[in-house]
Amino acid sequence: MKESIERWLGTLFGLIFVALSLLVTVETVIRKVFNMSLQGADELGGYALAFGATIAFSLAMMGRSHIRVDVFHDHLPRWLQTGLNWLSVVCLAAFATLLAWLAWYVIQDSRSYQSVAQTPWATPLVYPQTAWLGGLIGFALVSLGFALRASWLLVRGRTDELNREFGPRTTKDEVAEELEDLKHRSGNEPLTRAPAIDTAGARA
Amino acid sequence: MNVGYVLIAFVAMLGMMIIGVPIAVSMAAVGIVGGLAAYGMPFINSIAPVVWGVHNDNLLTSIPLFVLMGELLLRSGIADRMFGALAAWLGRLPGGLLHTNIGCSALFAATSGSSVATAATIGTVALPSLHKRGYPMSMSLGSIAAGGTLGILIPPSVNMIVYGSLTDTSISKLFVAGILPGLLLSACFMLFIAGHALLTGSTIREEKVPLAERLRLLRDLVPPAVVFFIVMGSLYSGVATTTESAALGVVASLFFAWNSRKLTWTLLQHCFVQTAKTSGMILLIITAAFILNLAISLTGVAEAMTAWVAGFGLSATQMLLVLIVFYFVLGMFMDVLSMMVATIPITFPMVTALGVDPVWFGIFIVLMCELGLITPPVGMNLFVVHGIRPDKGGIRDAIVGALPYVVIMILFTLLLMAVPGLATWLPGKM
Repeated sequence: MKESIERWLGTLFGLIFVALSLLVTVETVIRKVFNMSLQGADELGGYALAFGATIAFSLAMMGRSHIRVDVFHDHLPRWLQTGLNWLSVVCLAAFATLLAWLAWYVIQDSRSYQSVAQTPWATPLVYPQTAWLGGLIGFALVSLGFALRASWLLVRGRTDELNREFGPRTTKDEVAEELEDLKHRSGNEPLTRAPAIDTAGARA
Repeated sequence: MNVGYVLIAFVAMLGMMIIGVPIAVSMAAVGIVGGLAAYGMPFINSIAPVVWGVHNDNLLTSIPLFVLMGELLLRSGIADRMFGALAAWLGRLPGGLLHTNIGCSALFAATSGSSVATAATIGTVALPSLHKRGYPMSMSLGSIAAGGTLGILIPPSVNMIVYGSLTDTSISKLFVAGILPGLLLSACFMLFIAGHALLTGSTIREEKVPLAERLRLLRDLVPPAVVFFIVMGSLYSGVATTTESAALGVVASLFFAWNSRKLTWTLLQHCFVQTAKTSGMILLIITAAFILNLAISLTGVAEAMTAWVAGFGLSATQMLLVLIVFYFVLGMFMDVLSMMVATIPITFPMVTALGVDPVWFGIFIVLMCELGLITPPVGMNLFVVHGIRPDKGGIRDAIVGALPYVVIMILFTLLLMAVPGLATWLPGKM
């Protein structure tokens, strides 16, 4: 379930940027060779980032990729580790919620001033900003979901699970993932299945 | 603005980061609490347009694009094949395959931004054969860990994009500025390997590979080289902006991945997911950094700190020496991207007030980050190479092996201070 959501969101993210790359390449070549501009590629690049970033935030949340320093973490007493893991996910959820709220605020402003982009297209900013808000609400929901799960585990005293699911992703995890992927590549056979992205089970 | 408060806030932020609160949250929290303390609720309202400005910044679009470019070249195996080609060409030098590690890292660096992926790929390909042929393990580990740091100095480099966007410095110039120091530092690493091999008498050289074979292997170097020249050429000549050059790079890598018959839908999806995770992590940190930056600029922290530091009457050189120590210590404990993002809003105005060139300082900061990647206890690359070594041994081998490179990097930084032209000459020609 989680993996297919990840793949679906990842594909959406990737296709946005591949499409953007193709468009920008065409625009750059046309500008250089024919000395004329399609206009708008820059502007679209900005919108692609605004929406793409929100998807990326959610995916990074699911993959525990939002960086945490783990140097002292392993040396702390268990209860403190658990507390910090819980605090981290709750803080991320709070930050995500704040971002969504700020986006709402931005849209209110754009609507009352009827703001348009400072570009030849003069796009009303409400449109891209609505997509952006949608993405940020998604990020907020994903992280609130994780925060609830962590809180539930904490309340039920299932601290081992909490530490496993919400502990910092260590370099060891990352290396393990890279090695897994490398094994697929070096066999000279095409990747038949994306390597397991969730390495939670591999953690000692 | 009281300097005491600033220091307390900075220490609080570092403290939160070090005990393991997510980096982005630590920075945003300090920024928001500081801003609220100074201005109350209106501060929150002023964050909103800043966040939209960051997320809508076409320049930052280059980050996911460069990450995607690197992923495509890596996952399609194009980057792996470079190793064989370089081994055939560099193996004859005294120190043998160790040179290949450095050369390959440098080339890999030119296409990929991830030091974990770089070190893991090169390490997995190289370590077993190095081990079998009797290269000392610590030398092998050190060369791979150090080589892996070149990734952020040799363009394209995500760290430079982040630096450029936070300090309003031209990213094309930063990229171009990184080329010469990147090549020189690689050369220094290789000189050390050759010198060490000759002095200790352990001159391992590889068998000579026939010229025809070597020429045939050159083919494997074509894709990464073409991608690099498309990106840097279009930037240097002014044909493309940073984001446009990244888009050209993505299209070129897509072509080469397709051409190598490795491009399947599953592979693409895998690249996409990885790219999204990496970009999401970086972009959230940048978002938080801009919130912190807003608090810093509104409350006049940078001016206060600059005035405070000016009170010591340090010259630019003395200031930079202090910063080397500061970053060296900080880099021991922190992830380097976070270290960079958390400190430059303060250190950048300090040094530029002393007349230091912003592009030059960007290269300086990146060198400090490289240092942080191989200094214990948190040197990321040390753990990466340690994690893939074929024999069972302690992390100490990696630390000892990387130590000479730490010294080389510090000496190189001093050289860069003595001859700033190494970084500023090439971008000056643009």
